[in-house]
Amino acid sequence: MQKYFQITILTILLALAPPVFAADKTLRVLAWPGYADPDVVKAFEARFHSKVEVTFVDSDESLWDKMHAGHDNTFDVVAANTVEIHRYTREGLLQPLDLARLPNTRFQLPRFRALSSIGGLTQGGKVYAIPFTYSAMGLIYDRKQVSVPPRSMSELWNPRYRGKVLAFNSAQHNFSFTALALGVDNPFQLDVNQMRRVAKQLVALRRNLLSYYSLPEEATRLFIQHKSALLFANYGTQQLTQLRKAGADVGYVIPEEGALAWLDCWAMTRAVRDRSLALAWIDYMLEPAVSRLLPERQGLANTLTSPPEVSDKSRIIWLQPVEDVGQREALWGKIVSGNLPERL
Amino acid sequence: MRPGLTVKLSILLACIGILASGVTGYYAYSTNQSLLVKEAERNLLTSTELLSQRLSAVLNDIAADALTLANMPSSAKVAGFEDVAGDDVAKERLAQVFGTIMRLHPQYAQVRLISRQQFGLELIRFDRDGDRLVRVTGSLLQEKGHFPYVFETLALAPGRVYVSPITVNHEQGAHSAEGAPTLRLATPVVTSTGAVVGVVVINVWLKSLLDSVQSDLPAGHQLYLTNEWGDFLAHPNPAMTFGFDKGRRLLVQDSYEQTRPLFDKTQTSVLVNGLDNPQRAKGQILAFVRKPFGLPENHQFVVLGLARPLEDVLRGGKSLGESTIQMVLAFSVLSIVLAVVFSRALTRPLQMLTHAATSFQTRHALEALPVTRTDEIGVLARCFDQMRKELKSHMEKMSQNQQELRHLAHHDSLTGLPNRMQFFHQIECAIDAVAESGQQLAVLFIDLDHFKQINDQMGHAVGDQVLIVVAQRLRSALRGEDVVARLGGDEFIVLIKGPAIAAEVPAIAAKILSTLNEDIMTHGHRLQVCASIGISLFPDDGVTAEELVLRADSAMYKAKVSGRYTFARYQAAE
Repeated sequence: MQKYFQITILTILLALAPPVFAADKTLRVLAWPGYADPDVVKAFEARFHSKVEVTFVDSDESLWDKMHAGHDNTFDVVAANTVEIHRYTREGLLQPLDLARLPNTRFQLPRFRALSSIGGLTQGGKVYAIPFTYSAMGLIYDRKQVSVPPRSMSELWNPRYRGKVLAFNSAQHNFSFTALALGVDNPFQLDVNQMRRVAKQLVALRRNLLSYYSLPEEATRLFIQHKSALLFANYGTQQLTQLRKAGADVGYVIPEEGALAWLDCWAMTRAVRDRSLALAWIDYMLEPAVSRLLPERQGLANTLTSPPEVSDKSRIIWLQPVEDVGQREALWGKIVSGNLPERL
Repeated sequence: MRPGLTVKLSILLACIGILASGVTGYYAYSTNQSLLVKEAERNLLTSTELLSQRLSAVLNDIAADALTLANMPSSAKVAGFEDVAGDDVAKERLAQVFGTIMRLHPQYAQVRLISRQQFGLELIRFDRDGDRLVRVTGSLLQEKGHFPYVFETLALAPGRVYVSPITVNHEQGAHSAEGAPTLRLATPVVTSTGAVVGVVVINVWLKSLLDSVQSDLPAGHQLYLTNEWGDFLAHPNPAMTFGFDKGRRLLVQDSYEQTRPLFDKTQTSVLVNGLDNPQRAKGQILAFVRKPFGLPENHQFVVLGLARPLEDVLRGGKSLGESTIQMVLAFSVLSIVLAVVFSRALTRPLQMLTHAATSFQTRHALEALPVTRTDEIGVLARCFDQMRKELKSHMEKMSQNQQELRHLAHHDSLTGLPNRMQFFHQIECAIDAVAESGQQLAVLFIDLDHFKQINDQMGHAVGDQVLIVVAQRLRSALRGEDVVARLGGDEFIVLIKGPAIAAEVPAIAAKILSTLNEDIMTHGHRLQVCASIGISLFPDDGVTAEELVLRADSAMYKAKVSGRYTFARYQAAE
């Protein structure tokens, strides 16, 4: 008797099972904190009857590790900057995207729709990533001490501001923006001579500095405590917000020679399980209601609207892989340690 | 068999005893544990506070060295020179002093004099390269003006000491100091005119600093140190330290949630233990203390923590735990024994009462009862005893009455002889007894002659007296085993048992007749009574009591007819 009962139950369960499994589509997302907040994820899950598993990363290195973790740890969609996207595309870790299935890209600003103009997003005429958010490394200035908004990065070298300048402690971007300030065409590919010139120029910048900073909080504290005048905003407008919150009367400019900017994009991995769900996620991320949360919650710019500090004409230079990371870092180590110019 | 009251009561009392001792034991054990942990926490907190004071003391010693160097007149002189060449003699002499300080303090990684001029160029610099002391000179000297330990110190008043945050030293060319967690103490060098012309900087290895601070810490203690954001600087697992330097924050708040108040500055010390928070601090007790660090105006602090294995702390309580278990076991056994003894003591009087009650029916001897007890059982026993006595006397009376009634039921009240019913019962018994043996029985039906006349002429009292006398005479005329009964009125009947009775019966009948015929003196009258007797024999004349009696009766009539005062044998042919 009991056996028949069990069989009946089993039959009923089996009959019910297919729709249950169908509703259980899972999307595995690899992203940075702030890109997939719980409310955003919940709304997506409800709309597409699916389950979203978000894994956050806090550095390009951990992103790289997770992308290479193997079969146990695969992802459907990933958010990464242009340089990383370029690496992953070359390694064949990503799938080309069908733009026709991403209708929300029509809301994006022209500069983000010109995908081929952004290094690393296309390969062989195919699109591998869609821009999502970015941050331009402009110049922050104290409005009291700097009456006219600076127009060039070379203001950082202005002896008027000696001991009142803050720069970021990192090899790659410092070489790139200094090269830009020196008028080098491609700041990411420096030849030996350009490298030497840039290194000397970086020593000169060091001599004009108050200090280098690593964290935005550190920059804010130094800026206020030591009444700094200029700051290279490695963290972009996020730092502007933080400084204003701390009571500083500061402005933000994109210099005429252009500002370096990182640009995070959404891409679909080779290991994708449900292609249309992955595309739906990327398209969902570009919805005005979702993209709007980036400036609101994270102080980051989205690709749909221009922040007040950045006009359409502002020259923004998306980060690209540099000629030799090791060389830049070795030189940088010497510069930041205070070596005399002859000991570089 | 269902368990009796003794067993039930024993089990109940034993359970109560075991439970009580178990609960008491457990409570004592856990209370002791938490007392031990609380005590250990207090001690650990004290140790941590002492550690923090020692850290202050060690830092003060280093600061004193820095101040000594900075206050040497030649320091100001050397730092104040616009030109590096300067007064080489003074510089060399000063360098010797710096070298001596380095030699005396192996925990110093670097000692430097840095100029305010030339972008913070180092003027005198001693590094440690392994065990070797290295003096760095010439173009190997570096510009350090952009480091906080220089520009912050230059802004200080004379005599004050800057204490840097603890970071990994990434300054290249620093020999052994490079890549090592380092703390920098710096103090301004001031000229006689009050101008700050440079700084003296002492780099200290965090490791040697902590080693000297925790040198006399008991074994098993582990040290934690974090900066003011909670990043681990010292941790039993070195991989957990300086996460921020590797692009990954590893915060004490994430490892030990309870430390948060230290960082939002609502508490200055925090205790965590694995007894109350097993998931937070597994097998450990920890004390964290917030300690101001560096210049007061910078509001910097570090958090020092000490951990001890919980096991170490509870080890003291382990023997107590074991003896508690032993005690609990011993008390459990004791409570079982006591429960049995007590319940038996309690139920024994009840059993006595029960026994007395049950045996009361069967035995008439009165069982001893615990009547001398003064408690409820004594009262019960006394009541029961009283009841038992009353019951006994009632029963005795009742059985006496019953006997009388039975006698009355089976005997004639006037003569005391068995009545008709009793006679029939006896004759039936006798028939049963002799039926198999083939013996004979004789039934003699006796009727007094002319008794009615006596009754009518002399009154019933005389008649009754006559009947009594007749009964006595009949009784005396016969043997003890023979049965004499009065059937009613003036009719008597006799049953004679014995072998060959047929032959004897006529003699017996004759003896009866003559005995009855004797004079009777009563109420002043002399009377003579005679009787007629009918005889029937078993089994010749009948095999049932009724037949025998009936036949004897008819034989008696025959005797009456043939002239009274005679006896006749029943004869069937008639």
